Amino acid sequence: MKKRQTYIFIISLIIPSAMVFSQTESEVNDSLTAKNKILNISKIRFGFDVFKPIKSLSEGDNLNYEIVGDLQITDNLYLAAEYGLIDRLIEDENINFNSNGSFLRFGFDYNMFKNWVGMDNAIFLGLRYGSSNFSNKIVSYNVRNSDAYFSNFVDNNYQTIDHSNLNGSWLEVVAGVKVETFNNVYLGFSLRLNKLLSTKKPENFDNLFIPGFNKVTDENTFGSGFNYTLTYSIPLRKKK
Amino acid sequence: MIKHLHFLVLTLFFLSCEKDDICIEGSENTNRITIGFIDNESKNPTGISLSFIKGINNDSIIESFSGNELKLPLMVNSNETKYILEQNEVKDTLIIFHQTNHLYLNRSCGFKSNFLIKSKTEIIKESGWIREILIVQDSIYNEEKTNIYIHY
Repeated sequence: MKKRQTYIFIISLIIPSAMVFSQTESEVNDSLTAKNKILNISKIRFGFDVFKPIKSLSEGDNLNYEIVGDLQITDNLYLAAEYGLIDRLIEDENINFNSNGSFLRFGFDYNMFKNWVGMDNAIFLGLRYGSSNFSNKIVSYNVRNSDAYFSNFVDNNYQTIDHSNLNGSWLEVVAGVKVETFNNVYLGFSLRLNKLLSTKKPENFDNLFIPGFNKVTDENTFGSGFNYTLTYSIPLRKKK
Repeated sequence: MIKHLHFLVLTLFFLSCEKDDICIEGSENTNRITIGFIDNESKNPTGISLSFIKGINNDSIIESFSGNELKLPLMVNSNETKYILEQNEVKDTLIIFHQTNHLYLNRSCGFKSNFLIKSKTEIIKESGWIREILIVQDSIYNEEKTNIYIHY
C-alpha cells in the first residue's frame, strides 16, 4: 500500500514536468504562429477559499480561511500561492485538541485546457511546496484502560497540555479546474495529494493535524485536501 | 491528455479515502496496582478473602475477592485513589497516593497511564484489620509484580 502510493506520487511529479517539455517541443514546430509563448504575463488573480469559512461556521471553529493567488507567466504556466490561517478544535478518536497556525504554499500550475477564442477556462496540474508553523493544545482525551471502573476521561481541570513552535513542510500535487463564470470572475476546484517532508513533533504527543496539510496518519506521510475557490482576475494586458 | 487527467483526479479522490485507525488489541495499556497480603503471624504472603471492595467516588461495588493478588485500577485523572476494603465485616480505607503520567502511544490508541506510588500511601483505620502497608515496587509498569503488601 505504502509502496504503491509512493509510486503514484513519483509518477504524478513527473507528469507536469513532462508536459512542460512537450510544450517547448511543439513551439519549435509551430514556428509559423506569430504568438510569442516564452513570456506572456497577462493576468494576476486573487481570491479566497469559499468552502472553508462555511465549514468553520458550521463546525464552530474560531478561524479557518485561505487566500489564493496566481500570476500567469506564459500561455499555460502560472505561478501560484496560497496562504491560510487556522484555529480549530479537532475531535479525534481519543483526543480532542486545538490546532492553531498559519501556512503558506507556493509553486506553479500548468493549464492543459485549450480554450476557444474569448474563453479562459483551465484544467490544470500543479506542484506546491508548503510549510506551516502552528501550535497544539490538548483539550481532553480518554486514557486507554481496559478497566473502566473509574472514569478514564481527562480534561482541562486535571491537565492542559500546550505544545508551541511546531512546524511541518510538504510537497503537494494539485489537479483542478477553473471556470470563468462572469467576466474576470473564476470558480475553481482542486484536489491535492500531499507528501510530508519534515515535521517537528511535540514531546509525548504527535502532529495529528498540520494546518494546510490536514490530517496526518500513523501509517504513512501522505495527506490530502481540496479547495473551492472564488478568484478575481486583474488583466495586465488587453485581451486580443 | 484530458483522459489522463481524469485518471489522476480519480486516483487522488480514492487516495483521500482513509481507513479508520484501530488500536490493536494487545497494545500497551494502563496497568492496575497489584496488592499482595501478608499474614502477620506467619510473615508469609497468603491468600485472603474480602467480602466488599469499593472505590470512593464510585457507587458501583467491585465483586468480592478471594486469592493471593488483588488487582485494582487507579484513577488516571487524579493523584490519589481511595478504596474501602472489608474483611469479616471490618472496614478499612486504603489511600494510594500516586504520581500519574500519561504516555502518548499513537493516534488510534491515544494515551496510556503510568503510575508511581508515593511513600505516603496510607490506611485510615475505622476498626482496623490492616496492620500496615509496605511498598515493594513503586512503579506500575506491568501487572506481574506485586506493588504493595498489606499486613494483616
